[in-house]
Amino acid sequence: MTKYTYMPEVRRVFRCTVPNENIRQVFLVDGILQEEENERNGIVLQRGTNQMGLKLHISGDHSQEPIQVISVRNEDLPRPLEFSNRWELAPGAVAQIIVCDHTMQEYLYKTFRYSQIKVGDGAHLDILFMQNEHHRSNYRLDIDAQLNELSGLDCHILSLYGGVIQNTLHVNMQRPGAVCNLDGLYLADGEQEVLYDITVRHDSPGCDSRQLFKGILDNHARASFDGTIHVAPGAQKTEAYQANHNLLLTHDARITTKPQLEIYADDVKCSHGATIGRLDELELFYLRSRGIPLAEARMLQQMAFVQDVLDRVRNDAIRSRLERMVESRLRGEFTKCSHCTMHCC
Amino acid sequence: MLSIKDLYVKIGDKEILSGVNLEVKPGEIHAIMGPNGSGKSTLAAVLAGRETFTVTQGSAVFMGKDLFELAPEERARMGLFLGFQYPVEIPGLTNVNFMKAAVNEQRKYQDLPLLTSGEFLKLMREKMAIVKMDPSFVGRGVNVGFSGGEKKRNEIFQMAMLEPKLAFLDETDSGLDVDALRVVARGVNKLKTKENAFVVITHYQRLLDYIVPDMVHVLYKGRIVKTAGKELALEVETKGYDHIIN
Ligand SMILES: Nc1ncnc2c1ncn2[C@@H]1O[C@H](COP(=O)(O)OP(=O)(O)OP(=O)(O)O)[C@@H](O)[C@H]1O
Ligand SMILES: [Mg+2]
Repeated sequence: MTKYTYMPEVRRVFRCTVPNENIRQVFLVDGILQEEENERNGIVLQRGTNQMGLKLHISGDHSQEPIQVISVRNEDLPRPLEFSNRWELAPGAVAQIIVCDHTMQEYLYKTFRYSQIKVGDGAHLDILFMQNEHHRSNYRLDIDAQLNELSGLDCHILSLYGGVIQNTLHVNMQRPGAVCNLDGLYLADGEQEVLYDITVRHDSPGCDSRQLFKGILDNHARASFDGTIHVAPGAQKTEAYQANHNLLLTHDARITTKPQLEIYADDVKCSHGATIGRLDELELFYLRSRGIPLAEARMLQQMAFVQDVLDRVRNDAIRSRLERMVESRLRGEFTKCSHCTMHCC
Repeated sequence: MLSIKDLYVKIGDKEILSGVNLEVKPGEIHAIMGPNGSGKSTLAAVLAGRETFTVTQGSAVFMGKDLFELAPEERARMGLFLGFQYPVEIPGLTNVNFMKAAVNEQRKYQDLPLLTSGEFLKLMREKMAIVKMDPSFVGRGVNVGFSGGEKKRNEIFQMAMLEPKLAFLDETDSGLDVDALRVVARGVNKLKTKENAFVVITHYQRLLDYIVPDMVHVLYKGRIVKTAGKELALEVETKGYDHIIN
């Protein structure tokens, strides 16, 4: 077991190539913010409740300056670690945040991370959660998002490693004209388990939500996907879509998927769909007939399967980096990121 | 180059090929004709390594090797190519990434250095020009949303990229307009050398006006019932199969 130690004085160890050298990085080690509270260019960074977690309050347009929050588990604590992060966008603000969750050692970490998101009127938040722990960790992410008038939320979740990963998302379209895109990719093998529970509530008229979740399950991996779209009475002109597609690579892998619609308004466009499939035999033959070996052909098929989820990450630099990570994860090469000396994300 | 002897093939309990014999030598062009369901595509697919079929008897030796001992990708890397009657769509995989993987595997096999991105794109452009394929196709999903004719062109383009020793073209001419037919035929003729060979499966004599075969075979109920020169194609077209079989 390799032991890594957090060394705040050695910044370079955390210098990931996501998405450029000058990205602002904020560290949380076992839920404790590693810098003083501060305010810069309209971004207020504070500690959260009980000195745990963080609170980011953002105003102004920061679309060109993504912030990366690196949240690592280090100490082996007797109890589950539980903390809450808050992301608040003032009206009209634009922000891009990447949250990378890691473990430094291979203890049986158990972590509950709450994420409270508030997107002010006309504001837009693009937030990406990288879940990259290890096969013995127990990980829980609870996202609670409130969208205000004409606001936008793009939320991407990439689950690469973790023993049990449990993602609960509650999105509330509470004011008219909000738009929300939720997507996620879960790649699980061995004995990994990924559990999703999503509720998108359309409480106001004229809001759009689009969900696309895809999973590839290998070996004995298990996943479940519960997704509910709730359209309240009066939430007319709602457009809400949900899709969950799964690829099972073995006969032992299991997925249960339950998309649900609860619609109490009449002028709405809603759809949901779920599929469970295996690698297509004819596609595989086509690839192999061009000289591509079986293992590589299967890889290409899997990459093809996840491509539309990755395409929803609009930042090119981040997307191409995610593509590489997903590819090496699927090749089984990847346990920790190879691009940074810290072997975190 | 290819020698098929007494080949019997089944799918499930159904026998589809019942004793096929065929010899292809370098520099030759063969045409296989035959009514629907006679087993033409099956023959090509079995040689390329489609696993849904079972070979129950007979042999196929390609470049001195028993084809049935080899995985589909090994056959391809040795220089066997199949132009599919129904090219497969692969959403999410771009043509360029598909061909990059294929060409690189072939170069690895041939002990050649891998191409740089620049070299690869240049090669792609060159080969696309041969089949007059629009450059915008490189970034699109493999065959996704391609028209019937565009899919067939894409098969020829892939063949041009891989420069096989022996290519089976399964109804590459079906569904092509006259111009596309000429483009495809020109592609084949351009790739034709003394060292390689083609087997074209077709229902129409018109393709054979452009790609002139040395030999025409008629496959009927899983057997080659007649072999002759290119005049056989014309005979098939004017008189029909009944006349030839009887
Ligand atoms: N997967 C399959 N399952 C059952 N039967 C099959 C399967 N594939 C092919 N066959 C049968 O095998 C026979 C030969 O098919 P094949 O596709 O080789 O014919 P073909 O000569 O290429 O016909 P066409 O001119 O219509 O393309 C047909 O009767 C077909 O129905
Ligand atoms: Mg056929």
